[in-house]
Amino acid sequence: MSQTPANPACAIECRQITKTFGSVVANDKIDLDVRYGEILALLGENGSGKTTLMNMLSGIYHPDSGSISIAGQPVSINSPVDAMHLGIGMIHQHFKLVDAFTAMDNIVLGTHGKRLAPKVLKERILEICHSVGLEIDPEKRVYEMSVSEKQTVEILKVLYRDAKILILDEPTAVLTPQETGKLFAILRRMREQGRAIIIITHKLQEVLEISDRVTILWKGKSIDTVNTAETNARQLTELMVGRPVSLSIQRPQPQDPQPVMDVQGLTVKKPDGAIALDGISFDIRSGEILGIAGVAGSGQKELCETIAGLTKSEKGHITFKGEEILGKTPAEIISLGIHMGFVPEDRLGMGLVASMGMVDNMLLKSYRSHKGMFIDRKPARALAEELIRRLEIVTPGEDTPVRLLSGGNVQKVLIGREIESGPSVLITAYPVRGLDINSSYTVYDLLNEQKQKGVAVVFVGEDLDVLLELCDRILVLCHGRITGLVDASSVTKEQIGLMMTGSHSGEVQQ
Amino acid sequence: MNTQKLSHEPLIRVVKRTERPPRQVTLLRALALVLSILAGGLFILSLGYNPIEIYATILSGAFRSKIAIQGTVKIMIPLLISSLGVTLAFKMKFWNIGAEGQIIAGAIVASYFALYHSDWNHWVLIVVMFLAGVIGGGIWGLIPALCKMKWNTNETLFTLMLNYIALHIVDYLRDGPWKDPGSQGFPKIARFDANVMLDKVLGVQFGWIVALVLAALIYIYLRYTKQGYEISVVGESTETARYAGMNVRRIVLRTMFLSGAVCGIAGMVQATGSDITLTDAVAGGVGFTAIIVAWLSQLNPITITVVSFLFSVLEKGSSVVQSSYGLSTDCADVLQSIILFFVLGCEFFIRYRFVMRKKGGNA
Amino acid sequence: MNKKILAFLLAAVMMVSTAACSSSEPAASEASSEAPASSEAASEEASSEAASSEAADGEAAGGGLFAPVAKEDLKVGVIHITDPAEGSGYTYTHDLGIVGMQENLGLSDDQIIRKINVDDTDATAIETAMLECIEEGCQIIFATSWGYMDTCEALAAEYPEVIFSHGTGYKSNGTNFNNYFGRIYQSRYLSGIAAGLKTKTNKIGYVGAQNSDNAEVTGGCNAFAMGVASVNPDAEVYIKVTGSWFSPEGEKQAAEALIAEGCDVIGQHCDTANPALAAEENGVWSVGYNSDMALKAPKSVLTSTMWDWSVYYTKATQSVIDGTWDGSNYFGDMNDGLVVLAPLTELCEEGTAEKVEEAKAKILSGEWDVFTGPIEDNEGNVILAEGETLSDADITGNIHWYYKNVVVK
Repeated sequence: MSQTPANPACAIECRQITKTFGSVVANDKIDLDVRYGEILALLGENGSGKTTLMNMLSGIYHPDSGSISIAGQPVSINSPVDAMHLGIGMIHQHFKLVDAFTAMDNIVLGTHGKRLAPKVLKERILEICHSVGLEIDPEKRVYEMSVSEKQTVEILKVLYRDAKILILDEPTAVLTPQETGKLFAILRRMREQGRAIIIITHKLQEVLEISDRVTILWKGKSIDTVNTAETNARQLTELMVGRPVSLSIQRPQPQDPQPVMDVQGLTVKKPDGAIALDGISFDIRSGEILGIAGVAGSGQKELCETIAGLTKSEKGHITFKGEEILGKTPAEIISLGIHMGFVPEDRLGMGLVASMGMVDNMLLKSYRSHKGMFIDRKPARALAEELIRRLEIVTPGEDTPVRLLSGGNVQKVLIGREIESGPSVLITAYPVRGLDINSSYTVYDLLNEQKQKGVAVVFVGEDLDVLLELCDRILVLCHGRITGLVDASSVTKEQIGLMMTGSHSGEVQQ
Repeated sequence: MNTQKLSHEPLIRVVKRTERPPRQVTLLRALALVLSILAGGLFILSLGYNPIEIYATILSGAFRSKIAIQGTVKIMIPLLISSLGVTLAFKMKFWNIGAEGQIIAGAIVASYFALYHSDWNHWVLIVVMFLAGVIGGGIWGLIPALCKMKWNTNETLFTLMLNYIALHIVDYLRDGPWKDPGSQGFPKIARFDANVMLDKVLGVQFGWIVALVLAALIYIYLRYTKQGYEISVVGESTETARYAGMNVRRIVLRTMFLSGAVCGIAGMVQATGSDITLTDAVAGGVGFTAIIVAWLSQLNPITITVVSFLFSVLEKGSSVVQSSYGLSTDCADVLQSIILFFVLGCEFFIRYRFVMRKKGGNA
Repeated sequence: MNKKILAFLLAAVMMVSTAACSSSEPAASEASSEAPASSEAASEEASSEAASSEAADGEAAGGGLFAPVAKEDLKVGVIHITDPAEGSGYTYTHDLGIVGMQENLGLSDDQIIRKINVDDTDATAIETAMLECIEEGCQIIFATSWGYMDTCEALAAEYPEVIFSHGTGYKSNGTNFNNYFGRIYQSRYLSGIAAGLKTKTNKIGYVGAQNSDNAEVTGGCNAFAMGVASVNPDAEVYIKVTGSWFSPEGEKQAAEALIAEGCDVIGQHCDTANPALAAEENGVWSVGYNSDMALKAPKSVLTSTMWDWSVYYTKATQSVIDGTWDGSNYFGDMNDGLVVLAPLTELCEEGTAEKVEEAKAKILSGEWDVFTGPIEDNEGNVILAEGETLSDADITGNIHWYYKNVVVK
């Protein structure tokens, strides 16, 4: 296939790339070099400009100033088509596939020139697969595929167009550890073939595992580029955050854990009728953090929403200190005197009203308790002011729409409100997703604080390292079933990974 | 995307911009208004008239005398009320394009009492007709909401189609059961009895007071009541509403009833205060203009009051321009459209910007 | 994203609303046009004036109800349902009358306040238009469309110093609110002669706006049919009703249906020239209405039944200047020159001119009018015996029968 060009020159050379959006400088004179035959990790917190930079390489944006050279030639990338012609392929975090089409159809979709006969095409695709170690059934339709299969199709799309430069935007976010391992093996094969690979990620372990060099972005600037072999997690974190941070997550001893909520034989269907939760049973205990692990879409969302009273169940029981709450609306649950905090996965689309300020968002669950037909904003304003002070929320004002706040501050608003309602159960779904390291640690601290207050905390997470360090027990979901309920201090990441795929069941431990 | 020119980006691209500060937004809108007046002036100039004279005539036509001011206010009444009506629905992101039909429905039900119970005590009759307008319009608003909740029908099409049904009900009543027996076979509904007519305050039917009171009420309702808060939350995200434990279905039904009811009041006030009869022109496109007024005003009832007044000034003034200069009323429509074009165009520039193709795009 | 949808929506809304505006216009004018013209029918009104052209000659009253107005101070308001610029048809004909009046009296352009495109079903728009005329200082306002009647009545009460003269309606108050119309049936009778002589198939079509509920259309059709019968007793008149005063498509389709029935002359009582145009397209003949439609369909039109409104407008306006306005109703005829037959075209059969002149002379002399017995309807009932005549009240309000040679299609 492709050969490494005779000169070991850079695949990509970005010089002084600047891109502004309104008053925000997303990229500030960024320099970036990627060589053929290497994997470069692009590391940075949310909002540090990684995605903007990659979007300029793939022709979605155009830089305000600065130059880009591909294989030594200065170029102007004006559209994704240009990028394709230059051999740049991007694999987005959110797949861009046509569900009703087969893998094959998706792969050739949008290519120009004569269409190959299906047989020839299939052979060609299999040949590409073979060369890098991918596995796919070219005739399988996308809607029948697992997440990692879809990702394979995305990668094939790029390879089919003979891309010499691949950009992967957080490719491991949706994969199990085992799948991640496979992906990395494939990336290494492609590196051997002489391709240049950029991988965007914020998981330090993966950076250290896969990359040859790391370029760190911080607040729109390229801070440093280091050889992976000569660095470590601590140094990378410091570069990424801009100052030294402690990386360990505290895990205080559970405070006299007592079962407060008992889930028995819970079965829930998705809106389309598919089974989301299949007769699961477990309990939630006060004074501890229960972690929930699983591949995305294993039933986490439905579990959280059913407990919070938002989704109807097929059968089963959920009791709070002996009182049945299943089938009750959130309002009815509150009227029983049960306070439940819920931090949903979709913060701005569900937990908060994006266009409203903090004050009005504070009202979301409490407005009903006001007397009469009018809303009293005074207590809400006081609460908002207190949260701003206590959680150090950065906002121009308590009436500024929350969508204008940074991700970390949005999460502080949401968690803050839920904690302030004085819950006895606090359910959090992916509470640190998309947050920078500092904000993530703030969230961990807040959850630990609640735990020590005796609150039963549920933590749905995706980063197994975090789950293992933060939680007391971990419940593993796979296709709506519980495949493990284990003590976090005595289990390894690999064991949980196996449970997530359902190939191994964990013992329920006390 | 243009597949022919593979390596050229389009000449102009649209790029979403980050949010502008509110002051800049206000400034931009003001600028758009000024530009639209200038562009309208160019248009007038191209027709061979003096723009300053024409604009002056528009203003004087709307304000030159007591009669003129009263005429302007009379145009504003149904526009303001129905703009407030659609605002309730729009705040909930329910695309109620059916104000026209809701106005008519309110007018129809109110007209029943105006035609057949004109002997009742004047104030009792007015209260009854008011409630009739509320119920007529409310039901007309409730129907699409019910169908949306039940079968997930598209409310835009549904409300639009209901407009025509309401219109043809008027035609049916006019040609059939409610036909004026004294009209010698001409299809029309009789003029209402004097007892039916809304009283005049300061020379204009008191609908203008109704309109202003409604503006204040709806402002308070949307801003300071629990129900108003619920409307905003549902409008932003039904998921969030569900999360907050709101009964989305009930809120949607209630709000659409209110939205239709307010439009129904507009119909009742227009039929019994201004037209003094029921015709198929009772809404006369006001329901559509109301949508524009509501959006131009960013769904703020106070702004709506101002904007609908400005629209009325333009309409009243351009009618005088027509008779004074022989300038067709169509030209007034063109002027209105120019203003809308600029003001709506400016909304685009508040959120997006154009990027021209750079020189030396690799061909 | 949502904003984008909004932008589209607004664009769509703007299109819809402008479409709605423009489409409301033809629909509105539906109820316009000539309406049953009966001054007598308004007997319940306070008006005690007799409905005759004579009555409008106010000199006999020895001074009018209003003080004279200096000619240069005079302002005349006109409310039109559509735009005179349309070039033929109802509003055009009325505005020709206004322009004629203006020339006759030597008024300047700014003394005429025209309000055009005033939807006659939109009471508020009508009122606004009339109030603007009053604001401009008009002493007299001519409201040309039937649907303006109720608003005229209401405003006449509110503004007793302004004269409201309403065309084609039936209400009046004897002082500052009158109505005006004319004996168009006289001209229709004459046009029937031309049609009766021309037909080869002995089938003549007639596109009517309204059915027999409407005395004006029905009477007009009868007069036309009687004209036909006077020269061609074998010919039948096929009437097809559109049900609308203004329906370009319906009028065209009605004419085409009649032609398909075998009619070779098409008469009409509706607003557009489409029946004449349809006749021309199909190679048959036609009789126009309102304006001289020979200008529109020169290969088809035999003659046209026309109004000359300037006759009334001049007379009424002069009486305001002179201070002789007496509030009486006006019902003009051929003698006044209000009702006119357009010049016969070369398409007419030989001898048509003589027959028409003969009948016209009889009408003008006053010795005979169209609705003179014997008249039998198409169901065999005797309407009028030999020598009997219909009263004006019956002519304008009570003709709900068809003449014996009329066939309803």
